[in-house]
Amino acid sequence: MASEELDRNFSELHVTRDSDCNGKSKILENQAVDGDFQITCFTEDLHDVTLHFQIIRLAKQIFVWIGCNTAKFGHLYAAAITRPNDQVAVTSILGGTSDNTGSGIARRLVLKTGLNIIVACNIPKDSPMLEATAERKLAEKLRSLGYIRPKPGGMSLD
Amino acid sequence: MDSGQSFRFPVAHNAVSLDIKGNKTEIIICKYDDKFLVIVTQIGCMGTILHARKEESVLTDPTYSVSIIFGKRDEPWLIACGRQLIEHISCSGSSMHLVLSLGLKDHSPETLKDVTLAVIENRLW
Repeated sequence: MASEELDRNFSELHVTRDSDCNGKSKILENQAVDGDFQITCFTEDLHDVTLHFQIIRLAKQIFVWIGCNTAKFGHLYAAAITRPNDQVAVTSILGGTSDNTGSGIARRLVLKTGLNIIVACNIPKDSPMLEATAERKLAEKLRSLGYIRPKPGGMSLD
Repeated sequence: MDSGQSFRFPVAHNAVSLDIKGNKTEIIICKYDDKFLVIVTQIGCMGTILHARKEESVLTDPTYSVSIIFGKRDEPWLIACGRQLIEHISCSGSSMHLVLSLGLKDHSPETLKDVTLAVIENRLW
């Protein structure tokens, strides 16, 4: 299983154009002072499918795109913690029908990160194993990036 | 890994940080196979999300549909911004849909105009 990853930080007034997003050569200069957003792109090659991940971390929100073999945008979901019971609410905002592939991922990411999450996912429906694998890979990456908050005594969803 | 092998992530993107009317603004533009995603934020989150598309017709000029799919639904200038951008995408020869997120501190026409110009300046279409 091979993986390629590309991490970027952008400083204030720093303009960059990276239309290729070439993971081999793109270790961009890190001039981050504030680091108001960070874009991470990586790919995981499974034996029969290729999963692409794009994580855009904003100050108060994370956008995640998961691509299965293609770079189609897929269905879009939003998830957030809602008052008063700190329950997680998830809604489909583009493309979702009775197929909720991706909505579970969005919900669990909110639980793990504590942030509002927007997830775009084109994993085909009726692929629970693939969805679980994608979520696991994504959680590993989010943990390595420090976006997942530690839960020493709380509920673990790993 | 073979040194001659180059990995190309399938989604291209541009990102820029600039000042619009005194507010620090981040603009991220991504190109997927079937959509463009444009994130414009001054508030650290995606804010209001719009979906814009061109509706082709054989006999008449194309029309455009812009709808707010998440967030504020009473800000007409946001829709105007989406309308400008989808028409620009269409005129550049692409028929892909646009997902536009605007997380702005103010929704004045001057700000939206500057946002539109900045997105066009850093476009991927």
